[in-house]
Amino acid sequence: MNKGGVGLTSGGSGPTSAAAAAAAQKQKTLLQRVDTDITSIVENFNHLVNVARVSDPPVRNSQEAFMMEMRGARMVQAADSLLKLVSELKQTAIFSGLASLNERVEQQTAAFDQQAEKTEQMLSRIGEEAAGCLKELESHYYSSAQRIDQGEQ
Amino acid sequence: MSENLDISLDKLPIKRLDAIEENGLERFAPDVGYDQKKLDLIRRIDFAWAVEKDTKKKQKTAKEANAPWPWQSMVENLQLAHQELSVIIDMINTVEANDAVTVASMTRPKQLPTEVLSDISVAAATKLQCFRQLGKYLKQSAKTLEKQVAREARFYGALIRLQQNWKVKRQRLTVSAPSNEGFTIDLFDNSLSDSMSLFLPATSTVSVDHDSAGMLAVNLPPKSCRFLHFGFLGVDSGSTTKESVKHDISASDAKREAVKENVDECVKETHLVLRNVHRAIFDEQVFDLVNREGFTPSRGFNVTGIRDNYLELGVGQGASVYLSLLPSGEDADQTDDSADTQNLETAIVTSETTDSTKLVEETASSLKSLSRFPSPTSCEIYLQQIFHEHKFVREKDKRPNASKARVPVQPAGEGSDLLGHFCMTLAHRIFSNKVLEELENLATRVPYLHLLSHPTWSSRTSSWSLTMKVPQSIIRAGHQTRPSDVPSRKDGVRLEFQTKVVVNDDCIKLEGEGAPNVVGLFNGSTEKTCSMNSYECDLANLPVILLEQVASQVVRWLHEEALVVGINASRDFLCLSFELDQGDKLCLLAHVDPKDTLGCISWWLLMAGGLMEEGKLHSEIASGGSENMKFLGYLSLEALYSIMMDLVSLCNRGANN
Repeated sequence: MNKGGVGLTSGGSGPTSAAAAAAAQKQKTLLQRVDTDITSIVENFNHLVNVARVSDPPVRNSQEAFMMEMRGARMVQAADSLLKLVSELKQTAIFSGLASLNERVEQQTAAFDQQAEKTEQMLSRIGEEAAGCLKELESHYYSSAQRIDQGEQ
Repeated sequence: MSENLDISLDKLPIKRLDAIEENGLERFAPDVGYDQKKLDLIRRIDFAWAVEKDTKKKQKTAKEANAPWPWQSMVENLQLAHQELSVIIDMINTVEANDAVTVASMTRPKQLPTEVLSDISVAAATKLQCFRQLGKYLKQSAKTLEKQVAREARFYGALIRLQQNWKVKRQRLTVSAPSNEGFTIDLFDNSLSDSMSLFLPATSTVSVDHDSAGMLAVNLPPKSCRFLHFGFLGVDSGSTTKESVKHDISASDAKREAVKENVDECVKETHLVLRNVHRAIFDEQVFDLVNREGFTPSRGFNVTGIRDNYLELGVGQGASVYLSLLPSGEDADQTDDSADTQNLETAIVTSETTDSTKLVEETASSLKSLSRFPSPTSCEIYLQQIFHEHKFVREKDKRPNASKARVPVQPAGEGSDLLGHFCMTLAHRIFSNKVLEELENLATRVPYLHLLSHPTWSSRTSSWSLTMKVPQSIIRAGHQTRPSDVPSRKDGVRLEFQTKVVVNDDCIKLEGEGAPNVVGLFNGSTEKTCSMNSYECDLANLPVILLEQVASQVVRWLHEEALVVGINASRDFLCLSFELDQGDKLCLLAHVDPKDTLGCISWWLLMAGGLMEEGKLHSEIASGGSENMKFLGYLSLEALYSIMMDLVSLCNRGANN
């Protein structure tokens, strides 16, 4: 609930102190998560590089192969976690950009109002045109040869 | 050939049981002394092979001479190596097992540099392989992640665009799967719900998900979108609208299959679906409101049938309408079997089977019925429009209190009775169509009548006027060269007579000059007929009254013209009489008969003495005339004018005589 309401950019119009604190806390957690993930990636990579040395006892080599796999998996996991974080951020951005959202809603409302007005105008114009056309047609018909002939019969 | 080296190993000397006595006492072998032990150990190693080897070698050489086998030497060498190894392993095992023998030191033989190198290279190769595999794995997962990134970018991009137009809500489904977050789109306008407890359809929230390609996938239960259908009972209707809707949806389906990849198209599709859902919600709300209003008795309608998603209303004028909610599109094919649906279905089927003659017949019949009934589609739109205007827009406008004066609101004061207003509108349309039919009949039969429509911009008022343009009088033609043909009465000359017909709901109001005011007729005073007057009448009397009106106008015109010429003519309703000498009267008499297809207004010339009675006149007309009467026929205004002039000259002559 408060996740949607409190954005990372807590520069909104007067959030309460609690909300600000929550936002700061959230920001901290997120940063922490980023740090953890990146540290994990770097560390695991370091290990991988370290392990690249061919060591003497052949037993250790196979042991190291296992370790490499494990490190690689950890790196991927950290990257995935980072990605999740990014998508979370995106969601937060989408659902917390209330200012732009409101602006957009207002824009839309104005646009729709305008459209409604335009449509109404158009409808009344069409009605008037139709009335005009009807009048013209009627006068045409009553002054037409067919009608006059009928009258003379 | 393959002879195994037998090594006979004694069992461990320790704790060896020698015998068990009867009473269960175990007796161990006596401890052996050091020398004895040593001897035992040495005895364990069987050196028989060494002895055998020599003898074998001799045999082999004998055999080699017989059959030289190229790998023989190698096999032997290997065997030898195997044997040695076996011995050594055995030794080691013995040493390990028996702590009596201690190995002082064992030095590994120093490896040759090539051996070391090869060892290292093998290790390096293994490592390289490992790294290759790791690289492959990382690459693969990078690709997956990349795809995921692209998918999310697409999804969120689309979601943002969707959010600009719709209310998107986030919804956490379960805690266990945080990645599987659902989004719902709230299509219900809750800004209204506080003031009026609007019915909330089940489809008011639509959940949106990623599909496999990262596109938006809108999950809609089938048959969830139901649209309002309106029609007149007994009239094939709605088939065209329904088909168009159907076409729309199937087309969009096809399109969806085709352009799944394009994000823009996908967003557009989603917009389309959402708009449809929105419309369906609105329709359901309107239907609900209509149902609610249907329960309150009103002047304009009475409910004649009610079923699930179906409402039948009698609106008067012998018409009944139905309103139903039907799922649109392909779902409609297996809808419930209510009567109207079947009607619609059959309508669709018949129009789909492109049997031309049937189609023509149908269109002809539908045209005929449509001329009586207004178009169901427009009625449907009108119903939606008034409900939207008064239930939705009004509620919203109440708060800002702005832009209220932009639409002139028709059913003022009865905003709550929208359905009544709607039904009365329908009844009015049907009734006014009937009136129009009558008027058109008149206008076609009476050649000098012009029917002009006057749009009123009101749904429950219609207005027409019957205009009669009179020819300009010959006398005035000389000095009456007015540039504009504006009919005016200032100079006493009239160019046209008008009769206005206004239909309000279901009462007809006539307004015209020179009309045969019924009251005036009964009073016997002719004065009143000169003024503008208005009165009401019903549909059955309409043609007669209109014809009388017109005829009286003609008579009045002739009278005026006669007065202009200077003849003393008198006018009584439909009769213009000229005084001849000896008190005789020559009358020009109009006879109206609305059922007469030839002309409706016919003229008689009547020679009457002063004692002519009304009753006799009527009977004579009915009997087809006598020596006093002459049927002139259906005359045009010009002919009438010339007849009048003839009469005038006749009178003049009579007067001169």
